[in-house]
Amino acid sequence: MDRWLLITSTLFAAIGAAWGMISVNRGRRSLWTIVWMLGVFVCQFAFLGLRGKQHGTCPLIGYGEILVFLSWALTLFYLLVGSTYRISLLGVFTAPAVAVFQCIALLPGMLDEVPKKIENGNFWHEIHSSTSVLAYGALALSAVAGVMFLVLDRQLKEQHLKSGLFLNLPPIRTLLVSLERLQRVGGGLLTLGIIAGFLMPRADHRVLAHLLAALAVWSGYVLLTIIKLTRGLTGRRQALAVVILFILSLGVFAFV
Amino acid sequence: MQLLCLGLNHRTAPVEVRERFAVGTSKLGDAAIEITTMEGICESVVISTCNRTEYYLVAQGDSDAFGLLEAHLAHKTSHADSATPHFYRKERNEAARHLCRVVSGLDSMMLGETEIFGQVKQAYQSALGAGATSGTLNRLFQRAFGVGKKVRTETRIQEGSTSVGNVAVDLAEKIFGHLKDSEVMILGAGEMCRITAQSLVSRGARSIFVSNRSFERAEKLAADMGGSAVRFDEWQSVLERVDIVISSTGSPHALVHREDVEKARRARKYRPLFFIDIAVPRDIDPAVGEIEEVYLYDIDTLEQLADEARVRRQKQIEECERIIDAELAKLNLPGT
Repeated sequence: MDRWLLITSTLFAAIGAAWGMISVNRGRRSLWTIVWMLGVFVCQFAFLGLRGKQHGTCPLIGYGEILVFLSWALTLFYLLVGSTYRISLLGVFTAPAVAVFQCIALLPGMLDEVPKKIENGNFWHEIHSSTSVLAYGALALSAVAGVMFLVLDRQLKEQHLKSGLFLNLPPIRTLLVSLERLQRVGGGLLTLGIIAGFLMPRADHRVLAHLLAALAVWSGYVLLTIIKLTRGLTGRRQALAVVILFILSLGVFAFV
Repeated sequence: MQLLCLGLNHRTAPVEVRERFAVGTSKLGDAAIEITTMEGICESVVISTCNRTEYYLVAQGDSDAFGLLEAHLAHKTSHADSATPHFYRKERNEAARHLCRVVSGLDSMMLGETEIFGQVKQAYQSALGAGATSGTLNRLFQRAFGVGKKVRTETRIQEGSTSVGNVAVDLAEKIFGHLKDSEVMILGAGEMCRITAQSLVSRGARSIFVSNRSFERAEKLAADMGGSAVRFDEWQSVLERVDIVISSTGSPHALVHREDVEKARRARKYRPLFFIDIAVPRDIDPAVGEIEEVYLYDIDTLEQLADEARVRRQKQIEECERIIDAELAKLNLPGT
């Protein structure tokens, strides 16, 4: 049952991505993207609810569940970003990322057929896992906004102004504002996650390595924020930094 | 009963003729009701914009409504005889079709422009308020407004900007979004600068700084635009705060160099900067465009974009005409 929910959610994301891209190619913005993304979110929520019930704890056991939780957080932030900031085409760029993450989660061996019951779950461990993955959702969306910025920046620089993509992308300044806000929300949640991580019991050296890797990612985002606030940063470098930091940050999960 | 249209526009009459027949917005209703007092004319709407004056009439079949109206205009303006060759006369379905084309922006100087829709609506409401319309013109104008909306939503007739000023504004909005938080500096005080800056101000640009070799001319343009004048040797310091620079001086060589912008980058905290160079020879060294956060557009690029939009709009005309014909066929209006 849970696997079918994930397949349905992935199909919704793939349809949303394809539908959105076809609309963009025709020079229009599809209002259906948000409907498909709502479908994605409901199915993800049901999947994680079922897995959580079977585990008896937060459903973040193994890479498959982490990827689904990350996709859920990404979708959640997309839907939460209010109408003012749910900038045009963000869904079209978010849907393919969700579809890819969930396709990987569906690969054989990524999800346990029968989720294990976890006895004696630790409060700080659950707080660490959930806030960290939520943080990654916000940071992933910030990276999506970064990619959108890089595409638009290139089109404006090279004066390629006729594509449907160009016509429908939100303005440069709006993208930069959204990118920064999501980065700050993600950074705040990551701070909570890391504090909770240091408060939870550490069974072996892998946990410490995982926390140190998370701390390195956090330091990267803090450094980026400080540079932006003090010295200033071109939009291109800021967007590139956010995208690279997010890709590097996924390395934290190697120590899970 | 027959539907008639008598009019002149920017294609048939020069401005010195058009201005003689222009009717003030507040007098459109009175002008329409005055026409209905003529023998054989039952309904009337008068449309008057800077590019056209048109009279839509419903007249009895055997009346010489065109002759009566032209005589009336000759009497009112004392110039109608010399203006007669500039008038076009359209009857029945041709008149209805013409109104739909006007409302859809197909007969406008700037193809596909939207302002005409509101102007015709205002003219119709003035006539309606004055009691100059009845069944036929009410049905015709309501349908024409429906057709105008359909043409705009179902075709790309209004897509893209067709003037250099509007292309520049569209690009500025693609970079900065709403222009209400954007500051603009103008280098030069010529007409092109004024037109482009006015387009930016009309879309909300906040502060305007004008710098020109002649400080007096800078002060005059600044006063006209509600901005501030800057001495020509001080424009570099203003570069630190503005978002958009429009340049059109008569300088024979580049005025803004890469070093000028490099110096201001740190103080600007590397915020995006949009340069619009509408001067020939160019005022802004192309090397400025290589700076990461700078978007530089010159007159050739802006004109090319405007031309492309015009061509795209031209290609839509056939589709617009098809919609108009289909909608008029459904109307089945008496007098057409």
